[in-house]
Amino acid sequence: MTGSVLSYVLRFVLFVLLQVLVLNRVLFFDFVNPYLYVLFIITLPTMMDRIAQMLVAFLLGLCVDIFSGTIGLNAFACVLTAYIKPFQNKAFGPQEEFGIVPSFTTYGVAQFVQYSSVLVLIHHLAFFIAEAGSFEHFGTILLKTLCSSVFTMLLIISVEYFKSRK
Amino acid sequence: MVSPLWFIEVAISKNTVLSQRVFVVQKRFCSRFYLACMKTLIKFFLTFKTLLVFLFLELVSFLLIVNNNQFQKSQFLSSSNVIVGSIYEGASSVFGYFGLKETNGILAQENSRLKEELLSCKSELERMRRDSNFAARASVAERNCYSFVSAKVINASVYKERNYITLDKGAGDGIRQDMGVIGPNGVVGIVRSVSDHFSEVIPIVCLSDFNVSARIKGNSNLGSVSWSGGDYRKADLWEIPQYVSLQVGDTVETSGCSSIFPEGIVIGTVCDVKRKSEDYFYDIEINLSTDFSNLTYVDVINYQFAEEQNNLEEAEK
Repeated sequence: MTGSVLSYVLRFVLFVLLQVLVLNRVLFFDFVNPYLYVLFIITLPTMMDRIAQMLVAFLLGLCVDIFSGTIGLNAFACVLTAYIKPFQNKAFGPQEEFGIVPSFTTYGVAQFVQYSSVLVLIHHLAFFIAEAGSFEHFGTILLKTLCSSVFTMLLIISVEYFKSRK
Repeated sequence: MVSPLWFIEVAISKNTVLSQRVFVVQKRFCSRFYLACMKTLIKFFLTFKTLLVFLFLELVSFLLIVNNNQFQKSQFLSSSNVIVGSIYEGASSVFGYFGLKETNGILAQENSRLKEELLSCKSELERMRRDSNFAARASVAERNCYSFVSAKVINASVYKERNYITLDKGAGDGIRQDMGVIGPNGVVGIVRSVSDHFSEVIPIVCLSDFNVSARIKGNSNLGSVSWSGGDYRKADLWEIPQYVSLQVGDTVETSGCSSIFPEGIVIGTVCDVKRKSEDYFYDIEINLSTDFSNLTYVDVINYQFAEEQNNLEEAEK
């Protein structure tokens, strides 16, 4: 248990650093910005308490925010994602087993991609709406959401692929 | 993993054990209803704890966003301003009726004030319109070498052959001999003599050797206007060559080729043109724009370089 907690702490730090040091500088076509750190929330174990998940997500978002100078934006999206995550776990995860870590091996590739893409879309939509501050340019928000989600999903799939091969 | 609200859960679970004893102890002090209420409330919090924590965290994020990001702050404020503004608009559309009486009074007052102003403006405008030389005079005044002395006509004759006009201003007001005099509609005449407080003007309508250098408006050929007796509303324009095209109704104005009048002051309009084949010049009759029988206020033109110009011209002769 302590070992898994430590590994999660390490992953937390790793995801935050990867996001703020590398991925935040990746800007395709001015608005495509992948947010890979969502994978941390997506792969939180399903047995974990929902409130604890939200608190961790809030902390994760806040850390990324502090480094990106957008206080609150990522935290907002992360908390929403963490709130919705258990419902998605129920919808896409295997019914018989409870309390597993979502991944290619436990969920199956297709199921996991569906499960994570829903969460990524929700996270990105919330993030870009909060960033715009209003629904005035909703078309632009949707475009940003879709493009960034595609890039984030590509990164997530590749990360999960290498993890499953280990 | 334990819930962060574990202490409440613990309290509740212990409560179920202790509840009987607590209830007995508190029986006299608390009503059954009060305890039921508390239980329901805690149950409610526990049932919706996830949702409540979720909403709380989102609220914290939102406050963080709004307080730390200028752009989102402005966006939020502007959208909330729309709501606030529409509420105020609705309220004012209701409350506005209560002040109608007072508003009506203010409007009526303002109306009467504006009407007064309009009347005075209209009369001013009318005065300026009658004074067709207003614009010319204004442009002349800009050049600063002409100044005007306003004077009142106190005596005048029009039916004689040697007519005259007497003004209520004289040498004491800066009027000198040979200054030009114009009225609201055009040229009047020239100052012939001055006393301390009065001055006498030879109008155009006076049989004398006094001519006004003139031209057709829009044309630079010089002519001269003189009066040959008879009708005080008519005069003659001489020395306009026949090759100049002109028609009845053309404006005749001062040419500026003298030290008396600045250029562009209206004298009259052409009313009859005779073309004699043996003569080089037209024989033009004009309607004088100044009504000499009804002249009240005139302006005496003070050309500050008149003396200098005259001296120079005299020296050349």
